[in-house]
Amino acid sequence: MKRASVVFLGMLCTAFGLRAQSDPPNVPILSGALGFLGSTTAGAGTYQPIIAPVLVVPFGDKWLIESRADVQGFVARENGTSGPYNAQFAAALDYLQVDYIANAHLTITAGRFLTPFNIYNERLSAIWIANLEDSPIIFPIGTRTSASSNGGMVRGVAVARPTWLVNYTAYFSAASTTENLQAGRAAGGRAGLFLPQAGLEVGASYQRFLQNGDYNASGAYVVWEPPQIPLDVRGEYAHSPGGQGYWLEGAFRLAANRSSSGALSRLQLVARVQQFFKGSPVPQDLLPSVDVNQFDFGANYYLPHDVRLNGSYGRAYSTTGNYNIWNFGVTYRFLFPAWPGEH
Amino acid sequence: MRTLGTVFCGILMLTSSLRLWSQAQTPAATQKTPKAATTSKNGADEGELRFRQNCGRCHMPPESISPREVKAVLQHMRVRAMLTAEDERLILKYLAP
Repeated sequence: MKRASVVFLGMLCTAFGLRAQSDPPNVPILSGALGFLGSTTAGAGTYQPIIAPVLVVPFGDKWLIESRADVQGFVARENGTSGPYNAQFAAALDYLQVDYIANAHLTITAGRFLTPFNIYNERLSAIWIANLEDSPIIFPIGTRTSASSNGGMVRGVAVARPTWLVNYTAYFSAASTTENLQAGRAAGGRAGLFLPQAGLEVGASYQRFLQNGDYNASGAYVVWEPPQIPLDVRGEYAHSPGGQGYWLEGAFRLAANRSSSGALSRLQLVARVQQFFKGSPVPQDLLPSVDVNQFDFGANYYLPHDVRLNGSYGRAYSTTGNYNIWNFGVTYRFLFPAWPGEH
Repeated sequence: MRTLGTVFCGILMLTSSLRLWSQAQTPAATQKTPKAATTSKNGADEGELRFRQNCGRCHMPPESISPREVKAVLQHMRVRAMLTAEDERLILKYLAP
């Protein structure tokens, strides 16, 4: 009996040994970006040094703790376009969430998470991802009050077929006025259809905001990445009582295809057009008080070692005045294991 | 409004021109990237395809990912980008063969 146990233990050790050799280790990682952003809007210049660290701590294959914070400075002239420069610093916790990957179709999340309304907030807002520095005008719709929610969420891929997938998200959030942890009382969800071979995703979002007068926000989005050419097309539409609008963005890398890696292929040209139509005034909804039309043109250059340079010019048209928007920035995206060991 | 319409038309024309320019260069480029074809058979090719289809929807890929980082990155992305379990497995095989 003892001999059989020894053999069994030996087999187990061998099995684990083989597993350890074939599977990569699952260690915590520290990722994110350092950035320096500059902007001149209607002649008023601002400068923002930013660090946005992302910490991911896996516990086996099912559990995950992930977090992202934003620590940023804000340097501007006292009177906008004149006077001495003043600097302020702010820190915010974008998300700190515990995920449980229950099965192939369901992940359960608790804690503070990015509000999943349309796609910009969850997928594109990080400074090392956004093609243009400024958020779209309609960004506050569905992400009020801080773009983060405190509560629970379920998400996953409801149906997966070789040619199409349906993904979904549903969540609730409690109100919070705690400094750096602000959130609105709300519930909502999003559903998307992804056609991988066409590189096309379309989806819709809904949110019921449940404080300061209940109201609905709804939206739709599209992402199109034709497989043969390095063109990214993204757009969103959003509606709330405070107004409605859309943005549509195209970004093209000067490359023959998505795999090219020449010097010119590191250059990406970006254009975005957006319109906002004012609805009824809603206090503190962070939307413009008048209709706004705006276009932006920009260029991003992806240097080696995950450094990106970006610059853009935009012009906004509204009944309160037209103005130019100049942006420039540099970001460094980092990623390394947050646990000692061989690299 | 008219100005915005003009700008929008300009963007469309620019995009179309760039697409035509890109298509003109495609034959030579296709030979360099046979792995991108949808007829790929083995796991690594399929993993590369899934990597391009899913990760490229939001961002440029990082310049390098070490095998020590890849599993946590994929778990993070499985939640955030809603990868399927199969996507995760195939991309893991591609990034850390």
